[in-house]
Amino acid sequence: MALYPSNAWCDEWKNALNNDPAVEKTGKNWGVDFNGNFIFELQPGDGLDQTTYVYLEAAAGKCSDARLVKDPSEVDAGFFVIGLYANFKPVVKGEKDFIEGVVRGILKLKGDMSKIMRNAKFIRAVANSISSFENEYLGE
Amino acid sequence: MPTIDNFIRPEEWVSSFVTDMGKEIRKWGKERYLPIRREVDEDWRNHKLIEPLLKEVLVDLGLNSAFFPFEVGGADMPDPMAFVNVLGEELARIDAGFAVAALCSTWGLMPIMFKPHRNMELLEEFGPKFCGEELYVGCHAMTEPGGGADIENIGQVKGKTIQTTATLDGDEWVINGAKMWPTNSGKVGDLYTVICTTKLGSTDPDDFALILVPADTKGLKVGSAYQKCGMSADMNTDIWFDNVRVPKRYRFHGPGDDLKYWKRAITIGSMASTAMCVGVMKAVYEIIKDYTTTRVVAGKPLKEHSIVAEMLCDLTMSIESTSAWLWAYTREIDHPEIYGWDPWDERFALKTRGLSIHATNAVERACSRAMDYMGSYGYSREGDIEKFWRDQKVIGLWMGGKGLKTIENARYWYDLKTL
Repeated sequence: MALYPSNAWCDEWKNALNNDPAVEKTGKNWGVDFNGNFIFELQPGDGLDQTTYVYLEAAAGKCSDARLVKDPSEVDAGFFVIGLYANFKPVVKGEKDFIEGVVRGILKLKGDMSKIMRNAKFIRAVANSISSFENEYLGE
Repeated sequence: MPTIDNFIRPEEWVSSFVTDMGKEIRKWGKERYLPIRREVDEDWRNHKLIEPLLKEVLVDLGLNSAFFPFEVGGADMPDPMAFVNVLGEELARIDAGFAVAALCSTWGLMPIMFKPHRNMELLEEFGPKFCGEELYVGCHAMTEPGGGADIENIGQVKGKTIQTTATLDGDEWVINGAKMWPTNSGKVGDLYTVICTTKLGSTDPDDFALILVPADTKGLKVGSAYQKCGMSADMNTDIWFDNVRVPKRYRFHGPGDDLKYWKRAITIGSMASTAMCVGVMKAVYEIIKDYTTTRVVAGKPLKEHSIVAEMLCDLTMSIESTSAWLWAYTREIDHPEIYGWDPWDERFALKTRGLSIHATNAVERACSRAMDYMGSYGYSREGDIEKFWRDQKVIGLWMGGKGLKTIENARYWYDLKTL
């Protein structure tokens, strides 16, 4: 089991994404003519000592890179999801819905909202893949 | 100086996602719609300009997919009233006619769209069309040539005068009758939600039926667009059903439940109408603020004259009071876990009528008074106020008009027995 968040966890997520037919099928248009890469900003608390950034590179239903980055400016992302580590954890565990978290403002999303609206099925598939493997968590 | 973003909108009740979607619409409107708004106003007959704009909002910006479930490609938005309010305001600030065309695309499907009263079979059949890459537009066909507000006046007339009939013949409904005026009728609509009766003259709620009819179904004919006072982006025509046959499964829920959940659509209609009024009033606020600031009379800006300041204050009081009322009801409707009423509860349909009357009176007064102080500039196309003045009037006329809305609201608050 990988620790969330860590590079080992990112590798597991990348692997899960690239082996998920739902991600491939629903994401064929994602990131094709726009920047579909994500930065997840995990804010401290609940066992996390400092702000941590998870970078996800996704286009055409495939994930080409997933890793921790020290500074968001190191990479080029079109979407930023910001929230407390305590609020990300239930999503990663599969206990809370990612899109509902975003729409209700528990997780803040920056980027082209209409792309999220139009590709909700893909976003849902990506969120499902997060919770498809066992993890360990800080603070538990 | 305050702006339209300083009017009441409780931040803690609206997610940043919805707020940001509103900003996307505002940006889109500024770049894509406002530069050609006067030309759009002349496009009422053919919608050559309007149709591509409708695609940009419903498809590219994703409004059509907002409330469809994930399973069929939708965004499954929670808190639907908050979403409708923000988007309705922003669209109406650009063009009220365009706002109603966009919002009505999925209005007729709302009795089957939301949990716990989803009809997944129908959503799986039609959802992908609404959530796809091509423009696919819905139309909610209610009003009939001989009935006027009778259809909406379920509380008293109880569907007795519905002349559009649906007769079951084997596994098909056979629909006969006529409708008029619905938004997105004519060449615009791809899928009609048609209010029918399964028994002519019946007052039994079980006989009230909501049935889907794709626009290309044999026997369905539409007329040409009505030329109206305003609302050019909203195409309204006659529709005739001549032995139109659709599968039995196209009925929304069945006896009793069609009417029960249709009331949610009525509530949403009143709320969306109010949001549109707020959007128009915000547009008027921007126009009149600019005009009375730059226009100099007797050596000082127009707004520095006390009689003008009174009008300006009157306008902002209307926006604030309507917004506050709108958001209070929005919270009640979106959060049954707090307030206890289901969103389809008839009491919401009756209660929100009062809000709708208040809003339509306020917007009518706002447009008229702004024009009073802009004089001929307000009456001319260049002033833009005249467009809102022409457009807003019908918001008070649709869904039964002010008469029915008044009676229904009084029925709720005073338990009227005969009206």
